[in-house]
Amino acid sequence: MIGAQSYTSIQTNPMLPYLARLVAISDQGEEIKLLQLELLNGGKEAFGEYKPGQFAFLSAFGIGEAPFGIANIPSQGSTMDFAVQRLGGVTTALHELAPGDILGVRGPMGNCFPMEDFEGNDLVVLGGGIGGAPLRPVIQYVLQNRERYGKLTILWAARRPSLLIFQDEYESWQEAPNTELHLTVDEPDEEWQYESGLITDLLAKIAPRPNNAITITCGPPIMIHFVNKMLVEKLGFAAAQNYVTLEARMHCGIGKCGRCNLGDKLVCVDGPVFSMDEVGELLEKFL
Amino acid sequence: MKYIQKADLLAWLDITAWEKNLIAPRKIGNQILYQPIENSSQICWDYIRPDLSLKEAFFPPTERLFMMKSNSQQVELVESMPEEEKIIFGVRSCDALGVQMLDELFLENIPPDPYYAKRRENTTLIGMTCSQIGADCFCTQVGGAPDDPRGLDLMFKEVEDGYLLQVLSEKGQEIYESLPKASDYYGKMPDRPRGKPLFIGAPESIDWESHFDDEYWMELSDRCLGCRICAYVCPTCRCFDVRDEPIAGQPGAFERLRSWDSCVRENYRQIAGGHNPRAAKGERLRNRFYCKFFYYPQQYHTSMTVACTGCGRCIEACPVNIDISEIISHLLEVAR
Repeated sequence: MIGAQSYTSIQTNPMLPYLARLVAISDQGEEIKLLQLELLNGGKEAFGEYKPGQFAFLSAFGIGEAPFGIANIPSQGSTMDFAVQRLGGVTTALHELAPGDILGVRGPMGNCFPMEDFEGNDLVVLGGGIGGAPLRPVIQYVLQNRERYGKLTILWAARRPSLLIFQDEYESWQEAPNTELHLTVDEPDEEWQYESGLITDLLAKIAPRPNNAITITCGPPIMIHFVNKMLVEKLGFAAAQNYVTLEARMHCGIGKCGRCNLGDKLVCVDGPVFSMDEVGELLEKFL
Repeated sequence: MKYIQKADLLAWLDITAWEKNLIAPRKIGNQILYQPIENSSQICWDYIRPDLSLKEAFFPPTERLFMMKSNSQQVELVESMPEEEKIIFGVRSCDALGVQMLDELFLENIPPDPYYAKRRENTTLIGMTCSQIGADCFCTQVGGAPDDPRGLDLMFKEVEDGYLLQVLSEKGQEIYESLPKASDYYGKMPDRPRGKPLFIGAPESIDWESHFDDEYWMELSDRCLGCRICAYVCPTCRCFDVRDEPIAGQPGAFERLRSWDSCVRENYRQIAGGHNPRAAKGERLRNRFYCKFFYYPQQYHTSMTVACTGCGRCIEACPVNIDISEIISHLLEVAR
């Protein structure tokens, strides 16, 4: 039977995934693919209006499951999107799926970016490599509700040009009103025409102003650390203005397996979105 | 107080073991374990506490969450809900308290875990108060007691020629009604057992935050083998791992398994890109004690102030004598 099991029990079993059909899978550069899913049966209702910053577990049945940030907002197309970098067993299996294949999804999980609280502010979005994935819904949301926000500055970084994600969307981001996109890579190739160096160098150069501004960062822990340090020490931002979304190893997503603890916080239920005044000190301790 | 004669209790245990799934402390090799029994003669009566805690009755070392039958175009998922009903006899208060702590995580912290919930619902816990305190026991120093009724449905206490009993829940009432008639007890009450304190002071008075960077944790971890037996025997360690495995003999069929895990394991917390926030053994060992005394009570707002029942199993089990009571003692002394 094709995804046709009774879903009555699913509502009460948070460990049992919904089924989803892979609608499209496309390359996003080196070892990164965008998976676009159609939720089957009860999944659509369960996910409902998932929010920017939330995450879900994807199951490659027989291989395992792992958590990923949801990479779009529900009103953007008819699919639910995930950008997956091939790193281990589950991500390799997900990369090998073809359109029409069935996979599992559990969620939506975690808190979200408080997009309503950000209204009226300038937004600085800083994405490092695959860390850009959970920031795409933020960008989509701001562009869809453009008049509610001030200037949107996107700083997009990766180790190499081939690791920059969502490249075919840069044009639409740049063309949006009051929106800037800045790109940088650590290791430029011959064709590279944008900045090179770390995202912190780019940030120092752009020097966004802290008045009525919020920053949103996702990337490796060390990048989060140095971005926040620069924002606070050089650019005059308060830690409370700086939001991050954290990655952690997880096995349940519902505050039970214990895996994702960061001191007294559980990334899955207390996060994954935090302001740096909540987790700054903790991140220092666990760098 | 209600009183039942030993012979009557044994008769009831024999019938119950015959009719139902009865679990009780039983000697297996040189270990005493909560195990299924067929008759009352298999019950071990002389024990400090079983060598393994009660957690596996509700949260097995490995369990199937569901089965998958899949090819790429079709997937069928079949849940594996535990249905078995159990009566567990001879439960020590420290173990019942451990179950209470797990309840706060698996049941009260929403959404509830349906596997744990089902086992909990289908299980009756019959306690037996301790008549002696073991050398590594410190329940009274972490908020428990040898006759703590919390988490139990019915509790027995040994007196001359029989047992006093106390009904503690509806499930306990059902058991009570199935027991041979109890009489009133006017005999001598045994003294409450007393043990030597393993440390002086209360662990909740420790300022955990101020000890985070202590060199002590790294020194302590020098001898830690990372074997995780401490987590294995612990009634409140509940970290788990989830993985898929093929089912032997059924091509295309897999099961999703949940297994016990421990934060002391080296790559427990390592993320996909390779970053490990607790790369050093000392950081991992420290996390275990911070979880018990500092993180867990905050994360799950437990009614207990610490996530340790004082059962002392980890002290007994550790092959290199890392002793939780010595750690508490050290931190309390540093503060003085």
